[in-house]
Amino acid sequence: MTNYIIRRLLLNVLVLWFVASLVFVATNALPGDYAARRVASTLDMTDQTAAIEYARHELGLDKPLWRQYLNFMGDLATGDLGKSYETGRSTWSELGDRVPTTLELGVLIVFVSFAVGIPIGMVSAIKQNAASDYILRAVAIFGVAMPVFFVALLLSLAVIKLSLFEIDIVGDPHLWSEPVSAGKLYVIPAIAGGISGGAGIMRILRSQMLEVMRQDYIRTARAKGIADSGVWVRHALKNAMLPVLTVMGLTIGTIVGGQIILENMFNINGVGRFLFDKLNSRDFPPFQGTVLLIAAVIVTVNLVVDLAYAWLDPRIRYS
Amino acid sequence: MAQTRPVTIPSSEYLEVGPRRSRRARVRNLALIAGRNKLGAIGLVLVVIVLFTALFSPFLQRYDDARVFQTANPNFNPTASPIEIAANPGIGSPTILDRWERPFTSKHWFGTDQYGRDIYARIVVGARLAVIIGIGASAIAVLIGTAVGLISAYFGGKIDLVTQRFVDSIQAFPGLVLLMLIVSVRDQPSLTLTVLALGFLGFASSVRIVRSSVLSVSQSMYVEAARSYGAGHARLMLRHILPNILAAVVVIFSISIGLYILAEASLSFLGLGPADQTTWGKMVNSGRFAIDLHPWESLFSGAAITLAVLGFNLAGDALRDEMDPRLRGR
Repeated sequence: MTNYIIRRLLLNVLVLWFVASLVFVATNALPGDYAARRVASTLDMTDQTAAIEYARHELGLDKPLWRQYLNFMGDLATGDLGKSYETGRSTWSELGDRVPTTLELGVLIVFVSFAVGIPIGMVSAIKQNAASDYILRAVAIFGVAMPVFFVALLLSLAVIKLSLFEIDIVGDPHLWSEPVSAGKLYVIPAIAGGISGGAGIMRILRSQMLEVMRQDYIRTARAKGIADSGVWVRHALKNAMLPVLTVMGLTIGTIVGGQIILENMFNINGVGRFLFDKLNSRDFPPFQGTVLLIAAVIVTVNLVVDLAYAWLDPRIRYS
Repeated sequence: MAQTRPVTIPSSEYLEVGPRRSRRARVRNLALIAGRNKLGAIGLVLVVIVLFTALFSPFLQRYDDARVFQTANPNFNPTASPIEIAANPGIGSPTILDRWERPFTSKHWFGTDQYGRDIYARIVVGARLAVIIGIGASAIAVLIGTAVGLISAYFGGKIDLVTQRFVDSIQAFPGLVLLMLIVSVRDQPSLTLTVLALGFLGFASSVRIVRSSVLSVSQSMYVEAARSYGAGHARLMLRHILPNILAAVVVIFSISIGLYILAEASLSFLGLGPADQTTWGKMVNSGRFAIDLHPWESLFSGAAITLAVLGFNLAGDALRDEMDPRLRGR
């Protein structure tokens, strides 16, 4: 087991090196660099060549590409994610402002996904082929097919038309400091993201539950006289949750993508919007650093999910 | 990973495959499948509608999607001086844009947008874009994915290790970030670039599935037999392994079309969609700034995305259940 973990960790380092190189190559292939954009936005149509050259030199963009690559890798190896061209602040401190916001929204989205997906998936499987099953499945199928921004838009429309609440938010409220305005800010994106995620969970959970309910140990549990609810939750749900966990691990990337869209849509000052803005302004160091950090989170979560799998299901052995 | 997956046993009414079947038998068979898989039948109907719209969009769209509708301005005063116009802007222009016309009229079935363009025409044109992008990206992903997956699993060893780490690193990206990055290579992303980017993103997951199918097939007796009478690598791969993983390939192709349409809608929504093209995602985005008073553009285009994706998803699921139920949940 220890060997397995060590091997996976080493492979993850290799994967992250691949990711870092990919991001480096891709960002350098983009047209226009930050120096040109900054100069173009401050000077008018006068001759900008000298100004661009100066800015390039200042930012270190005039060095040969392999030098830049080595510098980039060297910085990464020491845990330095680079400095923003725009603000001069380090990526870590820029992220420090935004990670809490993104985590708040992300946790809410995951929470809503489970709160929607698990009960609906269970009910749908238990009442297989009843009217409620068909309705719930239809809802889930629509939930998977609807783009997250369309769900968010429909929710906003409902809030506006029914005048449920006014969205009057100043600054970046947090749930712990200003719960009311933070709640107003997060409620629509959290539900929209949660519906998309929950619909996926529901579909897998339903098919797994149906699979599990046919097993012998469920019949045994019933024969012992355990109440229906006990059989469903303690015996069936527990075993049906395993694949759901794996899929949750794999959908983290999707959740991040959803957050980019939702944070842009609702002007939430989180990591997703940061990433989008930095790409658009060609401010690459923070962009590269953030992508790498997200990739690290994703591979780590996948490793944890695989390990949790072995822990939850002792029949699975890694070697 | 060491993940055990219970094999679904095909139901007794499983699709019977015989050598020569009359056309009537084939139609009856299709009707049987449709009766058994009602959701799949709904999906197929939606897919046929979307494909039909895409194919015949020039005949269905009624107006040009870029045409700006305007009416003569009754208050237009051609002799007004600039000062008078500044005081009363309503008299300055000979025409007025037909902005935000209501839907469900005989002139504008779905109304008009903020520039006075016909929303119905734009939805019809968007269907063509969605189909090109969905099918194009899926075809690229499956073609490259099958080739790479086949070679990687067949030869194994170092080739396999490197390929798999490459695939891992693509999958370690959040999909949307990778798309944003590739599409930004051009200041104005073209349709081709969008399709290529989506195909590149999808290639990773098709490699995965093809690889695992090849691994299980290459253990079989008949591959061993073919190898024993001296078949070369190319012959083994193309004549003996490929035909036996074709079901999986077709399933991956059809099941992911909806995902690509959805991903493109997200890109367009963020303003990174193919330039100079009318896409549904762009329409949702441009309509949302007036959502409180004029929600129609966003509502119709959002519904179009949802129905198209729904159709391709349901039809893909049904095809998978008929062809290879073991791929369920992948």
